[in-house]
Amino acid sequence: MSDADQKPAAETVPGLGMTARARLTNLTIDIVLFVFGILMVLPLVLLVANAFKTPQEMVAWPPTIIPADPTLDNFRSVLGETPLLRWIWTSLRFAFLSMVAIVITSSIVGYVLAKFQFRTLEVIFILILATAIVPFEVYMIPLYFQAQSLGILNSIWGLLLGYLVMSFGIFLIRQNVKHSIPDELLEAARIDGAGELWIFARIVLPLLRGPLGALAVLSFFQAWTAFAWPIIVTTSRDAYTIEVGLALFQTGFTVDLGRLSAAAAAVLVPSVTIFVILRRNFVQGIASTGVKE
Amino acid sequence: MADVQIRDVHKAYGEVETIKGVSVDAPDGQFVVLVGPSGCGKSTLLRMIAGLEEIDRGTISIGGRVINQVEPKNRDIAMVFQNYALYPHMTVAVNMAFSLRLARTPKAEIARRVAEAARILGLTEYLERYPKQLSGGQRQRVAMGRAIVRNPQVYLFDEPLSNLDAKLRVQMRAELKDIHARLKTTTLYVTHDQIEAMTMANTIVVMRDGIIEQAGAPLELYDHPANTFVGSFIGSPAMNLIEGHCDGQNGAIKLDGEAVLRHGVHGVPAGPVICGIRPEHLAIVDAESDGIDVVVTTLEPTGSDTLVQARLGDQIIAAQLRERITAQPGDTIRLGSAPENTHLFDAKSERRIAASD
Repeated sequence: MSDADQKPAAETVPGLGMTARARLTNLTIDIVLFVFGILMVLPLVLLVANAFKTPQEMVAWPPTIIPADPTLDNFRSVLGETPLLRWIWTSLRFAFLSMVAIVITSSIVGYVLAKFQFRTLEVIFILILATAIVPFEVYMIPLYFQAQSLGILNSIWGLLLGYLVMSFGIFLIRQNVKHSIPDELLEAARIDGAGELWIFARIVLPLLRGPLGALAVLSFFQAWTAFAWPIIVTTSRDAYTIEVGLALFQTGFTVDLGRLSAAAAAVLVPSVTIFVILRRNFVQGIASTGVKE
Repeated sequence: MADVQIRDVHKAYGEVETIKGVSVDAPDGQFVVLVGPSGCGKSTLLRMIAGLEEIDRGTISIGGRVINQVEPKNRDIAMVFQNYALYPHMTVAVNMAFSLRLARTPKAEIARRVAEAARILGLTEYLERYPKQLSGGQRQRVAMGRAIVRNPQVYLFDEPLSNLDAKLRVQMRAELKDIHARLKTTTLYVTHDQIEAMTMANTIVVMRDGIIEQAGAPLELYDHPANTFVGSFIGSPAMNLIEGHCDGQNGAIKLDGEAVLRHGVHGVPAGPVICGIRPEHLAIVDAESDGIDVVVTTLEPTGSDTLVQARLGDQIIAAQLRERITAQPGDTIRLGSAPENTHLFDAKSERRIAASD
């Protein structure tokens, strides 16, 4: 076996040896990546498969990838016995509004911080950055009391309270504006007679489509997967987000893997849909922020 | 159309004063080039005319109207930037129509003006393209087109050709000159390239460290530089500046040793001077004539003439000789120049010494 493996690398034609070795390296990389890819995807596949399994098949060993006897019972009972659709709807609204708010606040603040040079603005930028290093656990209780005094517990507005502004989003947009929109572009527009709002809407925003798309995806999933804040600010079962509702499955009911899988699989649908739609922005945004200072 | 008057303008960034009292006149329809080394304040001055920088002191007026406090969009100017500043997400046509749309010009009028500018600049077939689909020279033309469609009173150019390769720069230089000749709009043009200044300007304004060293017609600056800075900045290869001692009588300048140069300026008092001779005014002379003995270090025959770099003491002298020469590196040759081609500068102030008779 090892002999056969080494043969291509050992071919003696000068100049071709490197190509063979390079090909072997590429093959090795491909195999390693493929194995890791499978490892990453497998839990997701099993989760979806489990959702369609009968209780007997669920505990069978070894686990099957494709259910031998697919059933919709799990979905039926989940949808019948819990307000799953309501939770998903709440989560969708929460994540969408949070995304819109973060995209708006980040683009405005990021642009202003990048292109208007005042010393006070620099201080504000440092303050905004500083908020990123304060853990949420530190201020979640004061925030709860604030929500309480505002009378917005158990509502979408209570959920949104900590999810309207994202310091990372402001940072992301500021860096992008600094690096990709030259001052001359804005100056040319000013000479051409454009007002500041017009410049922002018609020149800055269109040029920020990529990073704003990435930020939209990030902020949507940040809210979609939020757990600590929703579990604090929502106290009635009807007001839960899907993330909180799912947690309830494990504790409130007997450990029913079938129904938990079915609920989790149902929850995956919007996430995967949005990721597929915005995939290019997502990858682009992350890749480009990766190389910028 | 209008003239531009700059009167005693100052500008400081914190403690650093970048413009130290500058006055420039750009008469109606003239092509005025602001030239100087980087950091001399020429771009700042242009940006002050555009309204992109505030004016600390002094006044700038366009067509007799002081515009210190006027918004950029109300100054009736158009500016072309070094990096073109085209809107990447708009087509060439939309880029050019941008300002007219903002001014709510009727659609038919916009279409007419854009078509006209595109015709002048040879952009007609590119109107539907995006900036990234164009070459550097075409982008530069679009930037100019954006200025032309506005039909402004004044054009401002901030090093518009610096991003182009050498060949294209020469071509665009000629085109710009041609467009100015047709439109006859007052133009202020910033560059660090003295060749651009010499070839395009009606008036050149040479700046250094926030002040104007000299302003005048190109050949005036070339023939009568006000000081050693202008002398060596205008002209290529740069003017040779040689320190010497004027004997005050017969128009001779003694250098170290026996070498002697002649000057044609009357009534120069005895004392140390700086002698400025352009490379193209030097010629090989025989051993009996006045001149400086230099040791050849490099020879660059270009066919039409020969560029010689030679050593005089610890100084390098450049000479542009009309003829082909037989000397080799290491040989000593004697270079001289006609007295009328020798510029004299005061050794201390470095200012031109004019004839006083």
